[in-house]
Amino acid sequence: MNGALLFSQLLNGIATGMLYALMGIGLSIITGVLNIPNFAHGALFALGAYLLYTVIQVIGSFWLALVLAPVGVALLGIAIEYGGIRPLYKAGHDYQLLLTFGLSLIVTEAIILVWSPVGMSQLPPPILRGGFDLGVAIYPKYRLFVMVAAGLLVLGAWLFLEKTRYGAIMRAGIEDKEMVSLLGIDIHRLFTTAFALGCFLAGIAGALTAPIRGLNPLMGVDMLGIAFVVVTLAGLGNLLGSIVAGLMVGVAQSLVALVWPEASVAVIFAVMAAVLLVRPQGLFGIR
Amino acid sequence: MSPAWGEEAQPSNQSQSHSTVLNRPWLVILGAVVLLPVFVRHAIATEIWIFAIFGLGLNLLMGYTGLLSFGQATFFGSAAYVAGYLLKHHGVNVFVALLIGIVVGAVSAAVVGYLCVQRSGLYFIMLTFALNQMFYFTAYQWTSVTGGEDGMPGIPRPPMLGLDVRAPLAYYTVVAALFVLSLWVMKRVVESPLGKILQCIRENEPRAAALGYDAARMKLVAFVVGGAFSGLAGVLYAMLFGIVPLEAIGFVFSGNVVFATLIGGSGSLYGPVIGSFVFIWLSESVSAMWARWPLLLGLAFVIVVLFFRGGVVEAWARFWAWRATRGRRAPSAGADATH
Repeated sequence: MNGALLFSQLLNGIATGMLYALMGIGLSIITGVLNIPNFAHGALFALGAYLLYTVIQVIGSFWLALVLAPVGVALLGIAIEYGGIRPLYKAGHDYQLLLTFGLSLIVTEAIILVWSPVGMSQLPPPILRGGFDLGVAIYPKYRLFVMVAAGLLVLGAWLFLEKTRYGAIMRAGIEDKEMVSLLGIDIHRLFTTAFALGCFLAGIAGALTAPIRGLNPLMGVDMLGIAFVVVTLAGLGNLLGSIVAGLMVGVAQSLVALVWPEASVAVIFAVMAAVLLVRPQGLFGIR
Repeated sequence: MSPAWGEEAQPSNQSQSHSTVLNRPWLVILGAVVLLPVFVRHAIATEIWIFAIFGLGLNLLMGYTGLLSFGQATFFGSAAYVAGYLLKHHGVNVFVALLIGIVVGAVSAAVVGYLCVQRSGLYFIMLTFALNQMFYFTAYQWTSVTGGEDGMPGIPRPPMLGLDVRAPLAYYTVVAALFVLSLWVMKRVVESPLGKILQCIRENEPRAAALGYDAARMKLVAFVVGGAFSGLAGVLYAMLFGIVPLEAIGFVFSGNVVFATLIGGSGSLYGPVIGSFVFIWLSESVSAMWARWPLLLGLAFVIVVLFFRGGVVEAWARFWAWRATRGRRAPSAGADATH
């Protein structure tokens, strides 16, 4: 096997791994604060990609689309939390979970109806087209951009959660909701904010993915399982864990794709199963 | 961690209601088994009982043990593929196929369950889903065996005990008999000491552990038994349609059985049976109308969850409670008026 190919594939793994980490962090915030595994997370990821596509079609600016698409997904997230999940606080988690499951079917089918049942492609913006010579290999500029952008977003999420007052409240909400509300904090607003933030991250991950993998209505379903893997391995609310887990499955997937492409998706779950056999508590052993 | 999943949705102790209305549910079910093919297309009627067997398996986990498994299609699909392959390529005896399906369901559930019971709550749910995806992608890519997206067609329905069951009604009879048998077995399971221990784990896992029960092992047993039921359902499904579609091992299928069980009422033995009836009948009706019927299914999820939680069983009970209170209130309102 040639070294340049291996190197590129390793970089591919890091780029997709960062996107997985972004998905995992968003899901982790929602799941941690609201106590529901958000089954719509994958569909919202796909929606982010499709909104990017449409905004580019209408306005023509990739950069504006990269901002507007996740904001659109976050607004939908607020609507979902407000109109669907909030009325179910008392009913219990099973029902909230089924609600998000139903919503994931609705969003996926809506994408098929509004856009197209077959895949579409999206070019990166002109400035990010073509390759960049890294010495060892020429590597697509856009993927390098995704690596940096995802890294900055993860950093932003970390700064928000660790260094701001509201971030501290959110972390406290993951630990102990009752205590947080006893301290006089509006827990319902916290839930809405967390849901919107998680959806924003899913939306931007989807938007960033579109020029790499193209768009298809089922892209979200594939991503949902991977986001679950990241959260399960990392532990709820663990950002560093999410990055490690995301990179781990991303790189494993890319490297397996070189030798056995058919198994490249299944290997993500196999890696998770292997880790859990050795460390049932996950990579960092929290809860 | 939050309290155990599914805890709040369960009406407690079922055994009391069993002893008082012991015979009636059985009469209703036997009546339904006899009457269903008169009113519903035979294939749909058959599918209802197959899905009910599938739901019974899930409900042992969800309703009785408080474990919300979102990966039941793993066992259903694996059994359907393995038994379907043997039926198609090796012409095995139908009883061997059924037995192999049950074993495959149980073994795959043991493997998946072993990993899942290590974690609890939210992680447990995500694990069942993620492992389901692993099986799905394996089936999707292993086209030489499973046919990938096209499914595995050409599964025969061999004669049983020398009787030809290729006619829809004949096969319906076989499936219905197996369903009644499954229901009886599940009733025995949930009323056995094992069933009581599982309910004890559902209500209070630390206490069950303090009493000396190995909770993880008991949960695994629930998985295996539930997986065996799923496996049986999977083989019957493959023989019903003559094909194992890729969806049979997909996560939507796993979600459907959870949904069906919840709308039927997961707290009771008969909940998944009612849920299966409602779900299959509904989905078969709408899927014939529109290719994008999963959209309607998703809407149904949302509407049921927002407005009709507690399922058909509770809606029925609420209806009678409402009638009873209305009956009582009317004369008392009249009495007030005379004062």
